[in-house]
Amino acid sequence: MSLATFTTPTATHGPSNAADLVEKVSVRNLDFFYGDHRALKNINVSLYQGKVTAFIGPSGCGKSTLLRILNRMYDLYPHQRATGEVTLDRENILSPSQDLNLLRAKVGMVFQKPTPFPMTIFENIAFGIRLYERLSKSDLESRVQHALQRAALWEEVKDKLGANGLSLSGGQQQRLCIARTVAVRPEVILFDEPCSALDPISTAKIEELIDELKDDYTIAIVTHNMQQAARVSDFTAFMYLGELIEYGETTRMFTTPNDRRTQDYITGRFG
Amino acid sequence: MQLPGSKPVVDVALQGGAIPVADRVDRGKVLQRLRLRDLVFRHLTRAAAIAVLVILSGIIVSLIHGSWPALRTFGFGFLVTESWNPVTEKFGAIAPIYGTLVTSFLAMLIAVPVGLFIALFLTELCPMWLRRPIGIAIELLAGIPSIIYGIWGLFFFAPFLQQTLQPFLISVFGPIPVLSTLFAGPPYGIGILTAGLILAIMVLPFVTSISRDVFEAVPPVLKEAAYGLGCTTWEVARYVVLPFTRVGVIGGVMLGLGRALGETMAVTFVIGNAHRISGSILAPGTTISATIANEFTEAVGDLYTSSLIALGLILFVITFIVLAFARLMLMRINARVGG
Amino acid sequence: MAAAFESSLYASRRRRNGITMGLAYGATAFGLSWLVLILAVLLWKGFSGLSLAVFTQMTPPPGSAGGLLNPIIGSLILTVLAVLFGTPLGILAGTYMAEYGRYDKLTTVVRFINDILLSAPSIVVGLFIYEIMVAQMGHFSGWAGAVALAVIVVPVVVRTTEDMLTLVPDTLREAGASIGLPRSLMITRVAYRAARAGMVTGVLLAVARISGETAPLLFTALNNQFWSLNLNAPVASLPVVIFQFALSPYSDWQKLAWTGALIITLTVLALSISARILSAQRKSS
Repeated sequence: MSLATFTTPTATHGPSNAADLVEKVSVRNLDFFYGDHRALKNINVSLYQGKVTAFIGPSGCGKSTLLRILNRMYDLYPHQRATGEVTLDRENILSPSQDLNLLRAKVGMVFQKPTPFPMTIFENIAFGIRLYERLSKSDLESRVQHALQRAALWEEVKDKLGANGLSLSGGQQQRLCIARTVAVRPEVILFDEPCSALDPISTAKIEELIDELKDDYTIAIVTHNMQQAARVSDFTAFMYLGELIEYGETTRMFTTPNDRRTQDYITGRFG
Repeated sequence: MQLPGSKPVVDVALQGGAIPVADRVDRGKVLQRLRLRDLVFRHLTRAAAIAVLVILSGIIVSLIHGSWPALRTFGFGFLVTESWNPVTEKFGAIAPIYGTLVTSFLAMLIAVPVGLFIALFLTELCPMWLRRPIGIAIELLAGIPSIIYGIWGLFFFAPFLQQTLQPFLISVFGPIPVLSTLFAGPPYGIGILTAGLILAIMVLPFVTSISRDVFEAVPPVLKEAAYGLGCTTWEVARYVVLPFTRVGVIGGVMLGLGRALGETMAVTFVIGNAHRISGSILAPGTTISATIANEFTEAVGDLYTSSLIALGLILFVITFIVLAFARLMLMRINARVGG
Repeated sequence: MAAAFESSLYASRRRRNGITMGLAYGATAFGLSWLVLILAVLLWKGFSGLSLAVFTQMTPPPGSAGGLLNPIIGSLILTVLAVLFGTPLGILAGTYMAEYGRYDKLTTVVRFINDILLSAPSIVVGLFIYEIMVAQMGHFSGWAGAVALAVIVVPVVVRTTEDMLTLVPDTLREAGASIGLPRSLMITRVAYRAARAGMVTGVLLAVARISGETAPLLFTALNNQFWSLNLNAPVASLPVVIFQFALSPYSDWQKLAWTGALIITLTVLALSISARILSAQRKSS
């Protein structure tokens, strides 16, 4: 795993052929309000199947806010609302008739702080699966194992599945959360600064994980770390003060950005 | 540094003693006086803190001393004898103990689920602007003095139950073999069930507010992680919030139980004051505190008085254990959430 | 990979959620309706008896008209005395726990014991004072009643004092120390001043608590049908009079009991609301 600098992104993210891009999530004319304050202004962006899209920008630019709209997490809190259109497979998820539980089954989220449930490791994964499927004991066990394997955690915990989820290290807990998210078979996975609370080795492992997962999912990742965005993503969106300034293929964004502000941010002039 | 009140700290502090500040020569004497004052104050506060312990020991010692004649006369038999006869001077505590335990148990049976559901409502479902008013209303329930519950119970609630709930229970459970004795009539209105129900209303605010406080302390990220998987509100409450707050909830429940056990006036009015154990909860009975409240001032004879004090000792021991357990639970959750 | 799920499972989850959310609404309505019922009955039965006579005439023998003057005065006296005895002790103890002894073992033990005393059955307190005062003195007295109430006041004041003093920021204390202020003065002139509103709230809450307490007075101050300011003898108090009158078979006594109950409830509510306003002011300042 090489830690590339931001001027020479790794070669795995070559230029994509426009023909094999399938739009999974589209955001059109999105505005978001905390009370009367407009936090997001006229956002237009697309997430493509099988690709990783990174959202970068200075603190407070709205990237986490945008991510949390994609699974309507903001719905839990009063005085927050979104206007515009966000479609998943061409269905508008902002409409009031949208079934939220169903949406969140399709769109999973991994948070900044690892949040294992107060249960055993096995239960943490099984819990999500059981919500949606009635499986036999052996089927359930193999699903849990599969999820843990996909999260590159199986080898480390296979002998202590009955241990409490909180007994794992930070990096392991985060991988547990990823396994839990993957276990319910979503279509889109949202990562909200997943590595900011982790050490470099765990960070590297998780970045590898995202690379492996992207073939089967549509992934959006919010990150503070530009180098991480360059390493991990196919598309990058730069946000600033609630607006989407520029959006395009990662290679191009980091080498020849169109907007002056993007260039300034990437070269470290501010941030 | 300015205090609220905006006088310089030095002036505020020293003006009370009218001690002149600027005099260099007297400063030594002033400081010496202040040192003495410091010492006195410090020991005074320490003594006051110890006084709290003294009060507790005083209670225990005086109860043991007062109940000694009865305990010596009856021994452990006191705990299991049903008879309560001032004339022959034969006293047994089992009817009051039974009443205390059963009414408290009934109270918790109702108050705990209702309280938890209200706490769930307040933390997940209630619109923001309603939360404080409802919270205040629940606290008002806690503030109403026990004697008010008593008089309300005797003149309103008991007759109401006599005409509605009790006949209903008697008719529903009449045909069923075992349960028919549990709910056997006649519907007096007053009795163990009524006392238990009033206690439930009195204990409800305690369980509710402690549960609500611990529910609110659950980190939002944890709940979001569960919602993020597509959990319904109930699933989040049951599988994430409740296990996380389990210790605090138990502490709150124990606190409510401690209150229920020691409750006097409300129970005295509606329990019926019958010194016997009956199979039916619709029958009158008595509790430890009701017995003491009703009979203490009329007790003639040392053994009678001493038996009543012995009842008080038993009550104190039971509540002490329950409350100590509750405090330990609450201390543990404070440590976890705070740290 | 699409999320595979059984729609029957999903439907039953939705159903369960609907039922439990309904239960939550129902439980809240249930709890609140008792409050409404109690206050409504109290107002309905007690209000009609409210008149100037209640506050100016003494308790009558059954069958004649009268008021609640002596129990009201008696309660006031006992309350004032209880606060006078209990508050200084409580404040001093709370001061030790928050200031001098903040981290020592004694404080941990006292805090634990104090919290237990806070919820201990008040009838046991009555028995305690009976043993050490009434039995020793040979007769019931107002002093005994006041002391019994004071024992209930102390834990409340200790708790609020400790909490309020702990909230005072250490920077304030350091400022006092930096000008050479002796500890005792720093506490009494600086910390008390800063925590004043909170401590007053504590006293108000303690008063609200003892206003309705009956059990501790039953065999300490007992009761008195006549006007008496002699604290060495039984003293009438509102809760005990309510107890006696409510359980009696006389309807005019019962009516007075309801009125007395209304008076106590309104007093307790007023005190609680004042305490709440005071603490809200403190938070906003």
